[in-house]
Amino acid sequence: MRRIAVLAVLVVTFGLLVWAGVYNLRQRRLAMQRAQTQIVLVKDGANGASGGGAPESMGTALQGKAAPAFTLVDLNGKKVSLADFKGRPVLVNFWATWCGPCQLEMPWFEEFAGKYKPQGLVVLGVDQDDLDMPKDKIAAAAKKIGVSYPILLPNKTISKDYALADYLPETFYVNKDGIVVEHSLGAPSKDEMEANIRKTMGL
Amino acid sequence: MRQGLANREQRTGLLVLMLALVALVMGARAQDISFGGDAAAAAKKGHVLLLSDSADVAKGKEQVIELRFRVDPGFHINSHTPKDPLLIATVLKLDSGHGVDVLGQEYPKGAAFKLGQGTDGEVLDVYQGEFRVKVRVKADAGDSTLTGALHYQACDDAACFPPKTLAVKVAITGK
Repeated sequence: MRRIAVLAVLVVTFGLLVWAGVYNLRQRRLAMQRAQTQIVLVKDGANGASGGGAPESMGTALQGKAAPAFTLVDLNGKKVSLADFKGRPVLVNFWATWCGPCQLEMPWFEEFAGKYKPQGLVVLGVDQDDLDMPKDKIAAAAKKIGVSYPILLPNKTISKDYALADYLPETFYVNKDGIVVEHSLGAPSKDEMEANIRKTMGL
Repeated sequence: MRQGLANREQRTGLLVLMLALVALVMGARAQDISFGGDAAAAAKKGHVLLLSDSADVAKGKEQVIELRFRVDPGFHINSHTPKDPLLIATVLKLDSGHGVDVLGQEYPKGAAFKLGQGTDGEVLDVYQGEFRVKVRVKADAGDSTLTGALHYQACDDAACFPPKTLAVKVAITGK
């Protein structure tokens, strides 16, 4: 009887070990697949989940919700609030002078700001350099990149309010009702950016 | 005799049970380490690793050692001389003293990296994969430690992480 019990325990133990091995293998394969999908997304420029295990932005959680209100100062020292643009579609783009992909996409924002000006599109660039970055350097960078839309200097709370990821660029597409309808992390393709803009404007 | 056999069977049974429990606990821990732990560890990753941890040099003589670094696959960092002045150059700052003097550094050339394939994005000058910085040192006899920091800024194709600093610590043995 005891021999049978011992045999049963051995069988169960062996079974558990096999199960653990198979489960582990399956999970690893799934993790690999997820990682590969992320890399493909980045290469295609789609909503740039940045590969390499970066933490997910909570910004996605803002989709469908009211964009957090803010009042920041632009490069000329003028106060700019999100509320100033009530009733108009607004793109809130977080960028930094050291961010190459930001430099890639910002001229597209400039182009679309002109193209959809008749529809009231507003683009706001919120700088994410260190708070002690000289204003003139940010202005020089914006000029070099070729954008004329308002560049806003960050305060200490906006990153938290928008639950930003620890990488850039990150953009929130806010419709005329103040709702975040799209969110992109990493530089999207130009076509995808325009699609997001058109969706934001209800076109 | 029968009692002895029974005791042996009991001990074997207990041993098997304990092994099963250990296997279960280890299995569960392994799952945690493999999955739950990866995200947290990855989040802390700086995407650049120092591969060199020690070097033997001739005592009292100027000598060039190579410090090897590795950038994570899929990522790049700007070279020491990025073409775009807005971008943050990779800079290795080493401390002299404590038995080893740093007399000079030589950075490798960067590789061309097109920003935004299929776009008119600029061509960057970057380090990818493994890169080596040559450091001219003069060390005393015996053991000393070369310390410093690598300042860099990592990106992938579509996004960039803020500038980071990697601590550098290499054991130098002057013989």
